[in-house]
Amino acid sequence: MTTTTPAQDSQEPAGVLGRPLDSREDPGLLRGEATYVADIDLPGTVHMAILGSPVAHARILSIDTKAAEQLPGVLKAATAADFPDVMPLPCIWIPGGVESHFPPHPYGLPGARPVLTGDTVRHVGDPIAVVVAETPRQAAAALAAISVEYEPLPVVTRADHALADGAPQLHEAVPGNLNAYWTCGDKDRTDAAVAAAEVTVELDLVNQRTINSPIEPRGAVGVYDPATGEYTLHASTQGPHNHRFLLSALVLGIPFNKLRVIAPTVGGSFGTKGYLYPDMALVLLLSKALGGRPVKWVDTRTGLMNSTVQGRDHRQHVTLAGTRDGRITAVRCTSYANLGAYPSTIGPGVATALMGRSISGMYDIPAAFCEVYAAFTNTVPLGAQRGSGRAEAAFLMERLVDRYAAEIGMDPAEVRRRNLVPKEKFPYDNGLGWTYDSGDYRLNLDRALELSGYAGMPARKAAARARGKRLGVGIATYVAVCGVGPSTRMSKEGMLGGTWESANIRVHPTGEVTVTVGSASTGQSHGTVFAQVAADELGIDPGQVQVHEGDTLKAPYGQGTYGSRSYSMAAPAIALTARKIKAKLVRAGAVFLGVPEDRVVYADGGVHEVGNPDNAKTFAELAMAMWYGWGLPPEIEPALDETTHFDPPDFNYPFGTHIAVVEVDELTGETEVVDYTAVDDAGNIGNPKVVAGQIEGSIVHGLGQALMEAAEYDENGVLVSSDLESYALPRAADAPFFTLGRTVTPSPHNPLGAKGAGEIATVPPAAAVVNAVVDALSDLGVRHIDMPLTPEKVWRRLRGEAP
Amino acid sequence: MDLTRIELTLHVNGRPEEFAAPPNELLVERLRDGLGLTGTKVGCDTGQCGTCVVRLDGRSVKSCLILTASAAGSEVTTIEGVTTPGGELTGLQEALRQEHGTQCGFCTPGMVMALGELVETARAEGAAGGPPPTEPEIREWLTGNLCRCTGYHSVVRGVQRACAPAEPEGR
Repeated sequence: MTTTTPAQDSQEPAGVLGRPLDSREDPGLLRGEATYVADIDLPGTVHMAILGSPVAHARILSIDTKAAEQLPGVLKAATAADFPDVMPLPCIWIPGGVESHFPPHPYGLPGARPVLTGDTVRHVGDPIAVVVAETPRQAAAALAAISVEYEPLPVVTRADHALADGAPQLHEAVPGNLNAYWTCGDKDRTDAAVAAAEVTVELDLVNQRTINSPIEPRGAVGVYDPATGEYTLHASTQGPHNHRFLLSALVLGIPFNKLRVIAPTVGGSFGTKGYLYPDMALVLLLSKALGGRPVKWVDTRTGLMNSTVQGRDHRQHVTLAGTRDGRITAVRCTSYANLGAYPSTIGPGVATALMGRSISGMYDIPAAFCEVYAAFTNTVPLGAQRGSGRAEAAFLMERLVDRYAAEIGMDPAEVRRRNLVPKEKFPYDNGLGWTYDSGDYRLNLDRALELSGYAGMPARKAAARARGKRLGVGIATYVAVCGVGPSTRMSKEGMLGGTWESANIRVHPTGEVTVTVGSASTGQSHGTVFAQVAADELGIDPGQVQVHEGDTLKAPYGQGTYGSRSYSMAAPAIALTARKIKAKLVRAGAVFLGVPEDRVVYADGGVHEVGNPDNAKTFAELAMAMWYGWGLPPEIEPALDETTHFDPPDFNYPFGTHIAVVEVDELTGETEVVDYTAVDDAGNIGNPKVVAGQIEGSIVHGLGQALMEAAEYDENGVLVSSDLESYALPRAADAPFFTLGRTVTPSPHNPLGAKGAGEIATVPPAAAVVNAVVDALSDLGVRHIDMPLTPEKVWRRLRGEAP
Repeated sequence: MDLTRIELTLHVNGRPEEFAAPPNELLVERLRDGLGLTGTKVGCDTGQCGTCVVRLDGRSVKSCLILTASAAGSEVTTIEGVTTPGGELTGLQEALRQEHGTQCGFCTPGMVMALGELVETARAEGAAGGPPPTEPEIREWLTGNLCRCTGYHSVVRGVQRACAPAEPEGR
């Protein structure tokens, strides 16, 4: 086992940005003082429970809630019939662009999920009815008294099966269950390159469905104020502004300015808490129906697994073409994506563009093409999951590269080196829709090979065999599109809505600073890192800066935290706002210092006259003077309160190389990850300690998919892995310490040179580990094993059984 | 005689609490809903995640797997009993802070409660000349607590720091 080395910065940062400051959020979390949704206890709170369908597909013949309403403590039971004016939950990412498939307004999208299902249930857990009672136990008990009569319908749980002739049909408005057929790249050129190739390799891959599993299940508290007609939603959300927009404007039809959404401390998300769910609308509707009593709902673990969006789930046929001497000439992918029963908020886009446009990874490939069939099935709706889309793309490409290397008998590291996009080709158009901003891929690969001790692997393999272990080495590289986004660009991807981010900085008369942002942390230490950004720009102590987010009443508009965007979207907005503050202080400083503006310098938090440092005002003096506003000319407004909406010119593209070393036990089939090296490039980073934590967690998440995690549905559409006894999450003993390295290529697309960081290290581990295990078993003729690589599966392959 | 409520006393964070509990009430429900001690969390309902770990007569236990009634008369320590609000961190908490052993923090109180027993034992043994727990031992001890954010590494480093023989300042 190795020890984790700290990420290596090429140079010491000049200011507080880039330093590994301790997280200011940690002490409160360590004392258990943070308030999560389940901890909110408003006076008069009543409790909601949701009746989810026990069957995967059925027509509802009748629902009777009378008996439930007679039970002790029960205040109300409701079904779809109680909310006739409520619109379905919108899907706001339509693959292929808005015009090509659907009307530009999301109302009534084919297959859109109703808040409560009235006619047909389409997955186990599909919400049918709700009960509100004085206690959570009373509410839960009352669900059993609701009688529902079902007429069972046939079930389909696989995307490819759902598209077959005669498959069960989920939505009348979506014949054939096809939500979208989406393509990118050049089909003709790719087909021609494959046909003409010296070497082609093909794989059939299952990127299995996995469950994100934040440790905090979702929850919501809805409060209606009859005096003002205003609604407040407290919810475990990654995007309070986004949820406000979707709920008020598109679902409930209540005025935008009468809905406030508050994200308290959120216990992890990894993508899943950015989605709109029925419960968020229901707690608000029921609070109004009950005269304003706060209505609280907290999910169970099994409830979460049957309702919160799930991830991955592609079945793919992939092809790589190349020359005998190791030059890749084409890559092609046909993917069947399982969207589940309804289009989730952005699930269809995740399954298509986020995956398809990324398939060529770090390689300079002349021809590439991807097509995705996105289909409805009787499973929980699909959505984002840490690394989503990018992880599926990296998996297929990196598996293909290893197959190709084996086919032509070349070292997999050498094949990669020969095909990396060269440094001088940036900005690089990958032919699939992305234009990579910057990178030095060869440096990154070489750093990873060196840190992992790649050259010494043959000796280690031999030594392991002597111990009854098969040692395997797997490399995986990746490029992850981050920094969503350029709003116009996203509209071309079919995103219904802006994807910019915003920040406000208010300098108080006493010189303290409040930063508010539209994002919302789900554990990323935003309070620490965003304070660093503002303090660095303003030249003040980070301790003077307080950060607020997560409350739509207090924060400027913003889209939230997803896709590793906060540091490359919200942080630049903060930096640009701080620059506005500084510019204003230079103009005002001319008045205060009694010199022309071009004689004023902003430095170390204050202003002084050029060449005369004694003629100066400190930050605190300036803050107070701006608060008084005395003597300011009309063109300078008093006070210091600025806002910026940042919409970048393009995405940013972090990348990296991960190398897994595994030992497979010949007797048990057990795979142990013994070494893991990750060299990621996220451009300039704000806080190395925070980022290292996210990278370590991301890698373990990826190892989970490779080795143990799988959402298993039976033939009736029942999720059999519906609790943490039947769904395996990695535990502390499942990974060694990692060796982390870093390269730094700043992005030109934001003023901090930042690239996404939070989830990027989830992208390559599954490919690295499967490559390593296949390497360990290659002499047995094993060319591929589907994830998860459970001991039994590997044990059978060790004994020569066919997959 | 009311069979739907059981009169009992728990000593919670050093204070006696007398109440009548339903026989099927879980200890975690009493702590969170009955006593307002929300530092103890519920993450999985099946005893897998460890967010509900408290100390029961000194031993770390999962409070979602224990009936309140079965804990009658016991000393219960929750995360609220470990520090004062806004107060100084214990040596373990300080070590976890220095290693950033937390991200979203939802699993953190349960981890602090579970690891407290390990660290106390290790320190007692260390004082008697014993070696600090090894990395595999720490990871083994942590298997009852799930964390999806950190991948556990910073937590393991925090425990190593907390158990290190030459503890700086002894905080």
